[in-house]
Amino acid sequence: MLLSILGLAAVLFLVFLRMPIAIAMGIVGFVGYSEIRGFRGSISMVGRLVIDTAQDYGLSVVPLFILMGLFVSKGGLSRELYQVSYAFLGHLRGGLAMATIVACAGFSAICGSSLATAATMSKVAMPQMRKYNYKDSLSTASIAAGGTLGILIPPSVILVIYGLLTETSIGKLFIAGVIPGLLGVLLYLVAVKWTVMRDPDAGPAGERSSWADRKAALKGVWAVLILFFLVIGGLYGVLNIWPVNLTFSPTEAAGMGAAGAFLIALSRGSLSFSGTMHVLIDAAQTAASLFAVLIGAWVFSNFVNLAGLPEGLTTAVTSAGLGPMTVILMIIAVYVLLGCVFESLSMLLLTVPIFFPLVTSLGFDPVWFGIIVVVVTEISLITPPVGLNVFVLKGVVGDVSTATIFKGVTPFWIVDIIRLALLVAIPSLVLFLPNSM
Amino acid sequence: MSGSDLDPEGTARLSGRQKSVWHYIAVLPTWLAATALFVLMGMTFADVILRSVANNPIESATEMTRFLMAIIVFSALPMVSWKGQHIVVDLMDPLFSRRMARVRDILIDLTCGVILFWPAKRVWELAERARDFGDVTEYLGFPQYVIGWFIAFFAFVTAIVFVMRGIARLFFPTKVLG
Repeated sequence: MLLSILGLAAVLFLVFLRMPIAIAMGIVGFVGYSEIRGFRGSISMVGRLVIDTAQDYGLSVVPLFILMGLFVSKGGLSRELYQVSYAFLGHLRGGLAMATIVACAGFSAICGSSLATAATMSKVAMPQMRKYNYKDSLSTASIAAGGTLGILIPPSVILVIYGLLTETSIGKLFIAGVIPGLLGVLLYLVAVKWTVMRDPDAGPAGERSSWADRKAALKGVWAVLILFFLVIGGLYGVLNIWPVNLTFSPTEAAGMGAAGAFLIALSRGSLSFSGTMHVLIDAAQTAASLFAVLIGAWVFSNFVNLAGLPEGLTTAVTSAGLGPMTVILMIIAVYVLLGCVFESLSMLLLTVPIFFPLVTSLGFDPVWFGIIVVVVTEISLITPPVGLNVFVLKGVVGDVSTATIFKGVTPFWIVDIIRLALLVAIPSLVLFLPNSM
Repeated sequence: MSGSDLDPEGTARLSGRQKSVWHYIAVLPTWLAATALFVLMGMTFADVILRSVANNPIESATEMTRFLMAIIVFSALPMVSWKGQHIVVDLMDPLFSRRMARVRDILIDLTCGVILFWPAKRVWELAERARDFGDVTEYLGFPQYVIGWFIAFFAFVTAIVFVMRGIARLFFPTKVLG
């Protein structure tokens, strides 16, 4: 127990020295494991893990979902999503920000990454909001917050990794993300409304679209709908229409999604040869850096398990007589704190092996805990000082200060906390859909 | 910086000026990774379509997926390491002066490089062991050690890349990214 706490401190120390998180976790895991099992045992564990992780069939879903997201971004689908949301909401006060939130949610349904959602939508939504004299604080904040939906609304790379890490059904995790995702959309719309009620100049109304325009805009989103139904429908076997049996494993769903997105982008002429290579290299490199973190995290998690940290934690909690809800609240507090400094995937990989055994031993549902972890991670994406989505926005937009964005994000952050409280207090919001399947 | 919006290095080099042979050697593994990913996507698509429509799946698809994964991850790793695209926490950066940051980065790169030699060596040993035993994959009968060699080779290259980065920081600090 003491050894693993020292290990945890060592990881944090190395990470703050700017060592790649993958290697920091790997080194500490390796040294710690050696302390208990000797050098030979430890190096054998690491060698085997490197070979097995790189060839893990289940993990092949990761590069494929990343690839799908990148092809979707290239294919210009974000523009159409925005147009249709604008056609229905643009005439309201704050309507363009609301349209941004809805378009982000739509984009999240075909893209599994929050940063990619924020980066893609900012290119489409930001110029429009500038045109209608939206205040930068509201426009950037609505994109940064809307973008966080990317990892909750299926497909989601983070949920895939959680599923693989804890052997929880990826299909159930995906479907469990739907209601909390929609709740997020609803609450973000309330946050926009609240912002324009306090400061009407922040989001002036746009022009009202005619029903003819609305119908025309709706025609543009067929590609998004097809992709979503292909991936999610295939995963749940609802496309099983005789004589064609379209039921996919998660890897197959990701492969079909990536191929579908590729074909859509190709048919629109938005992909050249070098553009395709660009996307493929980007996806492969992103996957490689994620796998490095995965391998490091597994080495570290083998060490903390061997050192008995999860059991130690469970015993400590039991002997302290803490109620299950107190423990969950404490874990959430730890996530919010860690989220202020850690990149989301690394935070998940570092903490889930430690907390998961404790949480399940207290009788909580693994699917519910997965969604809670992802919602907390979403919150961390817009929490100062690190809030990665805010920095993505800053990177794309350029001439807005991070302080302005963080200020604009505050109402969104508050409704996020309300959503988290709701999901913790009413677990059936998360579990209703997966349990009814 | 998160993994999911890394700059796709190497593509900017797909066009433009005359390149040296060293340049092509450096980017070749990245292209290999990209090609493997495209093949993985195409194969998964074909497998599902053939199975669903013609009830005739690609039976070796699972094994092929495993190989392609190893190729994608490990051949991309040296360039990811050279370009500094690993996921890091840069929150403490303001606390370091430029001089201190340089010393810190040199030490970190060299440590990463040196430490990676052991797992690379161990993977090589495991591959050699598989070769002695004559281990082959279940379906295609492909020798297991080849993929072990591949992983070990690129792990060694990644280790060397980290050491080179550390040395490059020492002598040409402006040339090193990340």
